[in-house]
Amino acid sequence: MIIAFAIAPLVLVTLLIGVRGVAAMRTTSDFLVASRQVSPLVNSAAVSGEYLSAASFLGVAGLVVKDGVGALWYPVGFTAGYIAMLVLVAAPMRRSGALTVPDFAEGRLASPALRRLAAVVVLVIGGLYLVPQFRTAGLVLSEVSSTPYWVGVVIAGAAVSITLALGGMRAATYVQAFQFFLKLCLFIVPAVWLMLQVGPAVRDQAVHPVEFTTFPRDTPVVFRVPVVLDVREPVTVRDNRGHPSLLPAGPQPVAAGQSLVFPAGSAVPRVRGESPPGGPGWQRPLLDLRQAGHPLLGTWAVLMATMLGTMGLPHVLVRFNTSPDGRSARRTAALTVGLLGIFYLFPGIYGVLGRVLVPQLYLAGATDTAVVALPAQVNQGWAGTLFTGLLTSGAFAAFLATSLGLLLVVSGAISHDLLPGGLARLRATVVVAAVAVVLLALPAAGIDVSTLVTWAFAVAASTFSPLLVLGIWWRRLTPAGALAGMSVGLLASAGAIAVTLFAPPLHGAAAILVAQPAPWSVPLAFATMLLVSLRGRPPAWSWAAMLRLHLDEPPGATRDRSDLRHSTRVRRRSSAVRRAARRLVG
Amino acid sequence: MNRGRRVAVTSPQTRLAHARRRSRGRWRPTPLPPEDAERAALLYLRQRRRAVGALLLLFALLLGLPLVLAVFPGPDSVRLLGVPLSWLALALLPYPMLLGLARWQLRRAEDAEERR
Repeated sequence: MIIAFAIAPLVLVTLLIGVRGVAAMRTTSDFLVASRQVSPLVNSAAVSGEYLSAASFLGVAGLVVKDGVGALWYPVGFTAGYIAMLVLVAAPMRRSGALTVPDFAEGRLASPALRRLAAVVVLVIGGLYLVPQFRTAGLVLSEVSSTPYWVGVVIAGAAVSITLALGGMRAATYVQAFQFFLKLCLFIVPAVWLMLQVGPAVRDQAVHPVEFTTFPRDTPVVFRVPVVLDVREPVTVRDNRGHPSLLPAGPQPVAAGQSLVFPAGSAVPRVRGESPPGGPGWQRPLLDLRQAGHPLLGTWAVLMATMLGTMGLPHVLVRFNTSPDGRSARRTAALTVGLLGIFYLFPGIYGVLGRVLVPQLYLAGATDTAVVALPAQVNQGWAGTLFTGLLTSGAFAAFLATSLGLLLVVSGAISHDLLPGGLARLRATVVVAAVAVVLLALPAAGIDVSTLVTWAFAVAASTFSPLLVLGIWWRRLTPAGALAGMSVGLLASAGAIAVTLFAPPLHGAAAILVAQPAPWSVPLAFATMLLVSLRGRPPAWSWAAMLRLHLDEPPGATRDRSDLRHSTRVRRRSSAVRRAARRLVG
Repeated sequence: MNRGRRVAVTSPQTRLAHARRRSRGRWRPTPLPPEDAERAALLYLRQRRRAVGALLLLFALLLGLPLVLAVFPGPDSVRLLGVPLSWLALALLPYPMLLGLARWQLRRAEDAEERR
């Protein structure tokens, strides 16, 4: 039911815009960078639409429920990344004339090996970022309707790959720009409705947090991940068939998929390794990662990773290459700061309301569904269903827009950088890559979205951001230095991920630095690049190769173009319909 | 009028261009013309100076705000319209500041390119 009215129109519009993009698609450049004719406003809406992923739409509010108000530092870092982009990368990246980030690396340093390494890094980041998008698509659908997990994953994969294979970057641009405004409405309107609907008592509880210690009513909890509960008082729970069973005091392991109903008034068990929502640490405006006891270090680590990571995300960087010149690429970055700033004023509202109304999601490990779970708590009638549908549709738009951009750079990396081929192969690669990601996402239901996305940011921050900053601003960078620095950054961040996954849990500052490696892996990558480059000699042409990135376009070349307000130059746009119309009218 | 095999007819330049795109040998960036190189060097220095200033401000803002909130817990208990001031400092305050910084830096970077 919800699929019919929330998802179907969205997927249809996405496909329609994709088909519309087919008209003017001849070369690899058309496919990868929309023929470089996208105006700053449309482009910044597309950048924001692409950037507001499942992690922003659902993840931030979920993290507020789980970790506290300090989780709102994530969106601050996400937004600040675009200032770093504006200052350091946007205009020079566009002026390099590259189609993809590996293209840029090869263009600046003339090293095919570097191009291949950069393409591999794009694949790593794309994988880490795409799998959670598809996974959350499946999860949200199964949360709001009774479809199995795989249905949502497959719908997302099919919609994204068909749109992209047909329309390429031009379709992606329009879809993402349209979806930005859609997401903005679908996020703000339900937030205002929720605030008005909950009543003064809940609003008061929202700003006076108390620790989640007793269940206010009979509360069903469906455990998504296996957890160990520390039960403080013995409690009689019922399973989903209604059979009562006694949970004795002490540590109790619970398997994933188990469903328990806790009676009203019983004490809330603690989840081993997490602190309950609403405690004293919860309301501090700092982010105590992994309850390590170093909130300031945790906050700084997250800010570093998100800000520098944004600067190195390949699907965002490639969007700057769709601008007509360096100047409008820079304007795109500045406008994006404003657009994202509007959106990020609202996740906090969902977070604090979620803490009051659905705190039990923290037991289930499902806090990232807090946003879509809220309307049903407030209103059991048609209005609640309507707003659940609107939020689901917005969340789906978030997966679609982000996945479009990511799938595009992943296929670009495979069939433009690793195995160069023409347009036909690019289109085929899109479909193959989508199938691969769907297959990866099917067994990934138990993984937390924000964890995987955070890793993607850490990898981007410790590989591409040193490459871009030094490549653009330091003439003595050598190919060997860039290769060494990127490899060290990749190994360091991937190593930290492996330690988090497979090693026994750490404590204190070490836990933060392993969970969020950016504060040490980024300086390490920079230092490696600097030292290895200083030991070698830069090639004779390196000064010219760097200066080329800073040379502005002659005035008039871009400013006389009065039709820049349209995203593509209408008269040149080739479309059968348009040609026929012109013949009729003219 | 015998219907033999049809062949694509392209100009020699087009054929050359197609061939070039396929082969990915090593290539070197072409040198800049001297007057362009001079202007690019000038722009590089100007933009670098402006970039350093903007980045220092950005880092001061981003790392300074958590530091202030960590050192002075005072705003936790002060409330504005019922909401703790420290929550507002985190959820609302950074965005206008970041937007202001973005506008300021955009104007400075474009100024640097206006001057001929």
